[in-house]
Amino acid sequence: MKSINSHSLLKFLLYITLFIILVPVLILILWTFASRWPWPKLLPEVYSFRSIKEVLSPHANAFSTLFSSIFLSLTVAVLSAIVGTMTARALVLYDFVGKRVIDLLSIAPILVPGTVFAMGIHIVFIKMSLSDTLLGVIIVHLIYTLPYSINIMKDLTDSIGKEMELQAYVLGASPLKSFRFITLPLLIPGLMSSISMAYIISFSQYFITLLIGGGNVKTFSVLMVPFIAKGDRTLSSAYGLIFIVSTLLIFVLIDRVFKGLSFKTRKEEI
Amino acid sequence: MNKRIITLFLTTFIVLILIVGCSNKDREMDANASSEAFNANRDFKEILKEAKGETVSFYGWGGDEDRNKWLNKTVAPILKKEYDITLDVVGMDIDDILAKLSGEKQAGLKKGSIDMIWINGENFYSAKENDLLFGPFLEQLPNFEKYIDNEDEEVNSDFGFSIDGYEAPYSKAQLVFINDSSVTKETPKNAKELMKYCKENKGKVTYAAPPDFTGSAFIRTLIYDIVGHEQFLDMKADKKIVKEKIEPALEYLRELNKYLWNEGKTFPATSGEVKNMFGDGELVMTMSYSPYSVATEIEKGVYKDTVRTFLFDKGTVGNTNYIAIAKNSSNKAAAIVAINEIISAKVQTTQFEELKELAVVSYDKLNDEEKKRFDSIKIGQGVLPQDELLSKRLPEMPANIVPIIEEIWIEEVVGK
Amino acid sequence: MNKKTPYILIIPIVLLGVLFIFGVVNGIVQSLGYIPAFGLKSITLDYYISILKNPIFLDSLKLSLQISIVSSILAIILGTILTAALVYTNHTEGRVIQVIKLAILVPYTIVALFLISILSQNGLMARAFYKLGWISSQGEFPLLLYSKNNFGIILGYVWKEVPFVAYFSLSLMNSVNKTLGEASENLGASKLKSFFYITLPLSMPAIRKAFLIILTFSFGAYDLPFLIGATLPKALPVQAHIQYIHPDLRHRPYAMALNGLILLITWIMAFVYYLVTKKKRIKGEINEKY
Repeated sequence: MKSINSHSLLKFLLYITLFIILVPVLILILWTFASRWPWPKLLPEVYSFRSIKEVLSPHANAFSTLFSSIFLSLTVAVLSAIVGTMTARALVLYDFVGKRVIDLLSIAPILVPGTVFAMGIHIVFIKMSLSDTLLGVIIVHLIYTLPYSINIMKDLTDSIGKEMELQAYVLGASPLKSFRFITLPLLIPGLMSSISMAYIISFSQYFITLLIGGGNVKTFSVLMVPFIAKGDRTLSSAYGLIFIVSTLLIFVLIDRVFKGLSFKTRKEEI
Repeated sequence: MNKRIITLFLTTFIVLILIVGCSNKDREMDANASSEAFNANRDFKEILKEAKGETVSFYGWGGDEDRNKWLNKTVAPILKKEYDITLDVVGMDIDDILAKLSGEKQAGLKKGSIDMIWINGENFYSAKENDLLFGPFLEQLPNFEKYIDNEDEEVNSDFGFSIDGYEAPYSKAQLVFINDSSVTKETPKNAKELMKYCKENKGKVTYAAPPDFTGSAFIRTLIYDIVGHEQFLDMKADKKIVKEKIEPALEYLRELNKYLWNEGKTFPATSGEVKNMFGDGELVMTMSYSPYSVATEIEKGVYKDTVRTFLFDKGTVGNTNYIAIAKNSSNKAAAIVAINEIISAKVQTTQFEELKELAVVSYDKLNDEEKKRFDSIKIGQGVLPQDELLSKRLPEMPANIVPIIEEIWIEEVVGK
Repeated sequence: MNKKTPYILIIPIVLLGVLFIFGVVNGIVQSLGYIPAFGLKSITLDYYISILKNPIFLDSLKLSLQISIVSSILAIILGTILTAALVYTNHTEGRVIQVIKLAILVPYTIVALFLISILSQNGLMARAFYKLGWISSQGEFPLLLYSKNNFGIILGYVWKEVPFVAYFSLSLMNSVNKTLGEASENLGASKLKSFFYITLPLSMPAIRKAFLIILTFSFGAYDLPFLIGATLPKALPVQAHIQYIHPDLRHRPYAMALNGLILLITWIMAFVYYLVTKKKRIKGEINEKY
């Protein structure tokens, strides 16, 4: 009886949270189609398709920028998940010289103000000819996404432990094989959150993309932020909506891919 | 444990040395960089030839969708068709542009990706001081001679600082006041009337806190109205002197606070927010640095068609926007050709028509056909004719006084 | 297993880490007044000293600490409850998670737009109150944004960070619950007991890390306090941003020094956090032993 109560209470809390998250998004949709919404109206007074026209017009480059931006962030997210998994395994399962330094490095980028790092790395990158290149942007984005990826993977690797993999290894499977068939399937939920998180971080980077990418690497955030800064609510909302909806679609895609992947792994096991 | 800490210290130390070492090398690189300079002082035909087939980038604020559209759909095709130059418009705030250029200078990068820069005022002054800009090139532009009045004060100096040919005029801006005739009948003509207006509409007027560009210009316009503008043109950039001279205006601003939105205890951070509050009816008045913005906003349905523009009798501050060329630009020839085209009567007319921005070409220098074309442009609803704007236009203060006033405002006006 | 394995695994992070350190050290060097591009060539602490001497600095510091500590504590409590709600109602994937992610991916500038649209004196809440006859003009609605109590900023952070905490610790709590929590329930522990004695403590590493992340983020970010904060006092990152956009380029070291101070304070917070959690961890180990 008691547990049913607490269960329904949790459900209630969950729905309230979802409501609080979704209501503002509704306002974003309304503003996308509103041009005037004066006091004390609860709904817009004048509607227009200005933002849609503007976003769709070829000179705005909204969609070509969106697609290259998605490609960039997906690349970063996948790389980040791979490096994150590797680092997490090293940190959790092994002892090695400099472990504490790596542990510190795995959280450090979060603890440094963006401007300090950006202004410093800019000069380093110019010297390495990485400034104004896609590779340069991928690298700086990776530096920002890795703390999240490493930490998500670390906790998970920790909770799964080494035993299972070790058992398989003892039973004669190669280390790579035992990782592939035993550990990887268990890591999949973590890999998914790691990729999603890294995607969000990379997709929303503004200042560092601007400085390192120069004008050569155009991302959706770089395109969108000036409109928001200007306070044009109609255009901001339209760009914001594209930002959110495109990212949600990518998440659905990631979800599908991983569901397919874990299904495939299970089949192979059989 | 101890060993590890020592290793950590050692690595940090080595890294530091490496970096300082690298920086020392830069200075040599810098010295070499200046030796191979682009020569702007030659026949324009030669420059045209060199510019052919190049891609030139134009960096500037990207938050104006109409300007982006105009650059991409009107200016770029003209450049492509007539000179085979591809224009790449890149949206970037001026402080980020300067951060990028200074990083490149520090690292000794000779060929950067920034060619043309939309710039003015204090940023121009600082960029020029720190050797980030290429020039002089202005006098070499055929269209400068042809269309621009070189007697005009704003062609020679930008926010009180001599241009020396390091930037070319792009468009003219001027602070205007905006209110809705269906909400308030009066249009205050000076600071005194503004005070009365604010008293009558208590809590319904405010301005953006500096360093917002428009808010800062509004404060300067009030200062001009109260203590006059001439004295600032050669004032020393000294906080004590400036404060003494503007004291009556500070007194006025503190008095004004009582009748402002939230009693002047706090101010919106951006002029965009002030504009939105006016659009929603939370404020009865707003201001803009684009003198024809009311026309475009009415067209977009953001403002009601009873909204109109007004000025102070003594005038409001106005300034010119300019285009400069980065010192490490890799396409200087193409940049010069593009700038030359942008200051032509043809492009300036389209700018006035499509963006409703004041042109920099001198009307007297236009031929009859160009004049006719210019006169035929409809300026739209709720705005003032160009000659009225220009007759009530006050020069901006020297660039280095502006941040001082902003600092004093924070200390002496907010919440006082 | 092979002794070389860990070293192979850390190659990428070491390479990226070296770049990161290079970048940070270069940035810090600028805050010490060494920017040869502007003719600033001597290393000095003057910029730091002049900032520390200014009384405004202390106000800004207090404000920033208040915002980040209050919002982070609220977010971590609510976020942990949300994580538990997701795990126990079995919503660890699917649409509900997409909604949670939605809040994480909304940029802070858009969050400011939400807050203004809903909570300002001209926002939807005030309009609803007006329609209901509870207020007769905009000015009567309490000032929730732009005010010295920072209500709006804190709410904005909580709105974004509660889902972040949930998402960040979800996979760990879920796997702990699946493997150990449910096992202890099968052995007869009540749900509540198994949560507080098994699932929550074992999920703490992720929750703790999430706390550190949101604490330092809300201390160092400038968007929300800039857009909906009071004009005075300004949050520390807003001060740094204003110095950064100062047109005089020789002013840059001030911006970098302010950022250097933010960095320093962030590291102090991280260190305190490390000490506190270390103590807890040792205690935990002792408890486990006896």
